[in-house]
Amino acid sequence: MAVDKNKPAPGNLWKWFDPRGRDIGTWAFILNRLTALGLTFYLFLHLLVLGQLAIGPQAYDRFIELLHNPIVIGAELLVVIAGIYHGLNGIRIALTSFGVAVPSQKALFWSVFAITAVCGLFFAVRMFGG
Amino acid sequence: MNTMKTVDRNSGLPKSGEGSGLWLLKIVSGLLVIIILVVHLTVNHMLGSMGGLLTYEEVVRYYASHPIIPIMEILFVIFVVSHALLGLRSIVLDLKPSRKSLRTINWILLVVGAGFILYGITLVMVIVNRGLNL
Repeated sequence: MAVDKNKPAPGNLWKWFDPRGRDIGTWAFILNRLTALGLTFYLFLHLLVLGQLAIGPQAYDRFIELLHNPIVIGAELLVVIAGIYHGLNGIRIALTSFGVAVPSQKALFWSVFAITAVCGLFFAVRMFGG
Repeated sequence: MNTMKTVDRNSGLPKSGEGSGLWLLKIVSGLLVIIILVVHLTVNHMLGSMGGLLTYEEVVRYYASHPIIPIMEILFVIFVVSHALLGLRSIVLDLKPSRKSLRTINWILLVVGAGFILYGITLVMVIVNRGLNL
């Protein structure tokens, strides 16, 4: 079956990765999707590993001890940043979906971006600064 | 070309396949996740003694400290799993799956979601019991 180049279809998946001619709303959307996938992966991983609690104190505390290394903390920082962006952008989407602040949605996006950057920096310092 | 399976009667544009009910549920569950997440993160990662993480004993004591904690965590797992899987479904819908594959995907998401919610509730109950028997 021929795939129309401009229609959404599994064969056009690569277009997601084409950065040309995007406006800011599309970037907001792309970031929303990427953080969604990352956070979903984290959520299920989080629920599964917390099963250690059911096994017992030794198993859980030994597992928590394993998490104190820079690679895990770096990954956790990514989760925090993704969470802040996804949450704030979600509020922006909820507002504009109900017709609130639609004309200022670009300004709202830049505020989301700025708050995420500032909070990301704060948590980076907090998590790595000892 | 048979990608346009369902067409919106008013706009004539192809429908995403996500009904307004599920769309609203995605937004509402998302906002509820934000609210509970703030409490969840504050307690679990700001008050913990093990470098920002709670020890086993701290976790079980916290869960058994007040009935609102397990209730909040159970609601949290329901909202967050629903939101994650509805979001995953929106992404799948943008790839215009056939009706047949969408039906299969719906079932997979339902089974995975129900499974994780039941697992989460069971885990919360197990933890509360450990705390009460401490």
